[in-house]
Amino acid sequence: MMRSRRISLLLFAISTLVGLLASGCGGKAAAGGPVEIRYWTGWTGHELDAQKELVEEFNRTHPNIRVRLLSVAGSYQKVRIAFAGGSTPDVSSAVWADELAGYAMRGVLRPLDETMARSGRSPEEFVPGVRRMVQYQGKTYALAVTTNTSFIVYNKRIFREAGLDPERPPRTITELDAAAEACTRIGAGGQFLRYGLRPSGLLNWSYVFGGQWYNPKTGEVTANHPGNVAALKWMASYGDRYDVSRMESFEASFGGTSTPNGPFFVGKVAMWQTGEFALEHIRRYAPDLEWGWFPYPVPPGGRPHTTGAGGSVFVIPAATRHPEEAWTFLDWLTRPRAVSQFCRAITNLPPLEAVGKQSEFRKEPLFRFALDLAAGENVFGPPQMPIWPRYVQEIRRAEEHAIFGRRDPQALLDAIDASIERDLQRTLREVQ
Amino acid sequence: MSQAITPKSRPVHAGKKVRTAMTHGALIFLSVVFLIPLYWLITSSLKTDAQLHAWPPVWIPNPITFEHYEKGLQFIPFPRMLANTLTIAVLSVVGTVISCSLVAYSLAMLSWKGRNALFFILLATMMLPGQVTMVPLFVLFAKMGWVDTFAPLIVPHFFGGAFAIFLMRQFFLGIPRDLAEAARIDGCGPWGIYYRIVMPLSRPVVATVALFSFLGAWNDYLGPLIYLANPENFTLSLGLAMFNSQYGSFPGQLMAVTTIMTVPILVLFFLTQRTFIQGMTTSGIKG
Amino acid sequence: MKPKRRPSAEQRRNLRNGILFALPWILHLAVLIAYPIAASFYYSLCNYDALRPPRWAGLENYRILFTEDPLFWTSLGNTLYMVLFGLPVTLVVSLAIALLMNQKLKGMAFYRTVYYLPSITPIVATSILWLWVLNPEMGLVNTVLQKVGLSGPGWLNSPDWSKPALILMGLWGAGGGMVIYLAGLQDIPQQLYEAASLDGAGKAAQFRHVTLPMLSPVILFNLIMGLIGSFQYFTQVYVITKGTGGPQDSTLFYALHLFNMAFVDFRMGYACAMAWVLFLVTLVCAFAVFRSSARWVYYGGEAR
Repeated sequence: MMRSRRISLLLFAISTLVGLLASGCGGKAAAGGPVEIRYWTGWTGHELDAQKELVEEFNRTHPNIRVRLLSVAGSYQKVRIAFAGGSTPDVSSAVWADELAGYAMRGVLRPLDETMARSGRSPEEFVPGVRRMVQYQGKTYALAVTTNTSFIVYNKRIFREAGLDPERPPRTITELDAAAEACTRIGAGGQFLRYGLRPSGLLNWSYVFGGQWYNPKTGEVTANHPGNVAALKWMASYGDRYDVSRMESFEASFGGTSTPNGPFFVGKVAMWQTGEFALEHIRRYAPDLEWGWFPYPVPPGGRPHTTGAGGSVFVIPAATRHPEEAWTFLDWLTRPRAVSQFCRAITNLPPLEAVGKQSEFRKEPLFRFALDLAAGENVFGPPQMPIWPRYVQEIRRAEEHAIFGRRDPQALLDAIDASIERDLQRTLREVQ
Repeated sequence: MSQAITPKSRPVHAGKKVRTAMTHGALIFLSVVFLIPLYWLITSSLKTDAQLHAWPPVWIPNPITFEHYEKGLQFIPFPRMLANTLTIAVLSVVGTVISCSLVAYSLAMLSWKGRNALFFILLATMMLPGQVTMVPLFVLFAKMGWVDTFAPLIVPHFFGGAFAIFLMRQFFLGIPRDLAEAARIDGCGPWGIYYRIVMPLSRPVVATVALFSFLGAWNDYLGPLIYLANPENFTLSLGLAMFNSQYGSFPGQLMAVTTIMTVPILVLFFLTQRTFIQGMTTSGIKG
Repeated sequence: MKPKRRPSAEQRRNLRNGILFALPWILHLAVLIAYPIAASFYYSLCNYDALRPPRWAGLENYRILFTEDPLFWTSLGNTLYMVLFGLPVTLVVSLAIALLMNQKLKGMAFYRTVYYLPSITPIVATSILWLWVLNPEMGLVNTVLQKVGLSGPGWLNSPDWSKPALILMGLWGAGGGMVIYLAGLQDIPQQLYEAASLDGAGKAAQFRHVTLPMLSPVILFNLIMGLIGSFQYFTQVYVITKGTGGPQDSTLFYALHLFNMAFVDFRMGYACAMAWVLFLVTLVCAFAVFRSSARWVYYGGEAR
């Protein structure tokens, strides 16, 4: 008898320990103290520091709320796991605009319109590209404190050496191809020493070529739109002109673009498809570089001054236990003063129209260019369809197969069109 | 069969010497091949940026610099991740040793109906791909509120693991029955025999199981990848992979952080070699 | 007819004690194995995104899997490549090293340590290390190849070379299997070799007629373990390709595709259907190996 009791004691001890472990984690606010808000961000480095500064200021000025900032650097997938596991933070900026529709559709985000109206806020404060991006089926699910643009920067010294006019960057696709060719240097063994440009990002280029991925009016997937096919065919044509496997090996030696070894900084590439953040990066990592910028060149009949939009957005998960406090923080963080301070600190574009008009943002020529680009008509954010992240992956796959695998662009895009359309219908059916 | 030396073996003496030398040569060559990547890892972490990118590559870092360690450790909260990893690993070891020894004792030394069936099922479960149980377990743990805690990575170890139980059972079978019998006559019950006789005699297998379970927890990637969301809870392997995807283009720092994760395991291995190899070998042959 | 005897008090006590001691694993079996297997099968018949309750879908997931998901076939093909090429190469190389080491030479402990070391290096660390060792331009391997006048391939950056690169990386960890073979080799009684040599058998014949049969149970063990491991190949590619399975899907292995379905797209039901297919394929392969083993595994006449 004694013995079996000892065994049960041991089992009891184990289960107690197990219970302790399970309940030991997870932040709980001390009774009576300030309410703790958990805020996850994807920013790192100096951007995280700028965000921290704002959070500290908020904590100082709001004694009833304490925001705890956490950087979930580079692993947005973790945020999805948190959603699925029901252990979400109270505010998160580690959500891609791409993912918004999928989350919103599943009801895991709080719609913000009501609270916004109560605080005298409105989605109309944001530039149209951002406004479209944060709404799903007429409701606002997210806010943004930054926005971005896409264009090309180029190395003027290399242009000059290649016999190109450094003050007149390419305007058409034909000119771009010629410039890329002129800047390319190949070594004695056939290996690349430098290339002008290898076009990447079918998503943006398709818009340049007049394409479209999703028709919001009809709800149709349009992956094999003639513009998309033309864009991909053009991108794949670089595989005809160059030895792509050598190109691929060459690219494996590139340093990261946020390091001094970035290929544009060290002259391994003459042109770099980038955005306004390039200004900060070049200043930091290659201050002596002589450089300029130009919008995506267009084919005949294409869309001039096309830019992508996207990036991280702020959401309040539906599971939060402190929706009021979470909104108080988000409201404060997305008002002009905080947005202006943050965007200046990290040289990003402000998404609020009022802030974009401030003279300090229009002083810098590149910023003027980018702000006008962002306010233009050819701004393309993620379409508000629920399986967009998966669609993006398929588009990335098609690009890789077309350029490096030499597969037929039309067939690749036809296949995507069929499979995404099927998936979309299925997903929409499931939700009802 | 006992006359081992045959007269035939003598004239081949010279040939044998050559063969020995050739074997050594091959073994040394292989040793170099196996060691170079590790050597490369550690020396790269100590090189200056200039030497890292030098062509042809530099084999001996000169000067030696620790700057990558300083910088790399700023990017990832190393102490925090080390503490997390150790917490998970140590508790997993405790859980595994306690639960597996109990179960193995039951399977090896107690005779009860259904024992062999249970052992057979245990062996069969080793064939089950983890992917089959992955999703339901995630859902189960999520419902219990365990996502983003260490619980899903620790608690299961308190309920035994097939491999460790198997290892311990094989060892317990080798303990002379007379000892247990004598203890029983002296009035020891099954618990007393387990606690007073079996466990004190089983230090080698306990050490082996503890080591493997520690190593398993230290190296585990999929578990933390699925269950941990908040970077404050990350383990070293998760932190290292995150570092790779974010700062992979700082090879010096990457190598430094990778070295930090690897070296403790190498040291542990050198200190406990015998136990390790014993564990590996008993697991194989007695199957 | 003998009346059925009721179990004696001792038998009952033994049963109670046996179950009590085995209780942790009985609970493990019920909660962490049996329930998830059943749940997994149920989910595989549902649409389930983990955010809302599962909804019955019948065989829909299996239908999509076999008829609408080209990546399913790609990932299955990639995985079979590793099983058919990677696994035998690894088994042969670790056996070869073990044979080389199975001699009474000085310094064996040293060699054994060196060969074994890489197999316990954390997989994440190994993967990152090899990502650099195999870098087509700056990596160690291509540097050495260039020294001897060869132009190295793109390894992990080339769809043709990425799987061989992973096999090469796996060979670095061949020490794990080697140690098991070595133990098996050392268990072969010396007398058998002497008897064979008295019968006039040369080295090759000794290997063929003594070593291989005596070692066959160990080979079977390594084969089965390797088979199960190959079907679940995941961490290395997840770390190296950051989950994409690139270039051009050439390293999209089954377990990676499954993980992406479950934890990136949150198609949990679909992932469970994939898991069940994997389960069945593993079972069939393991069963085939066991069936064939009756013909080539020699158990030395003694029952274990």
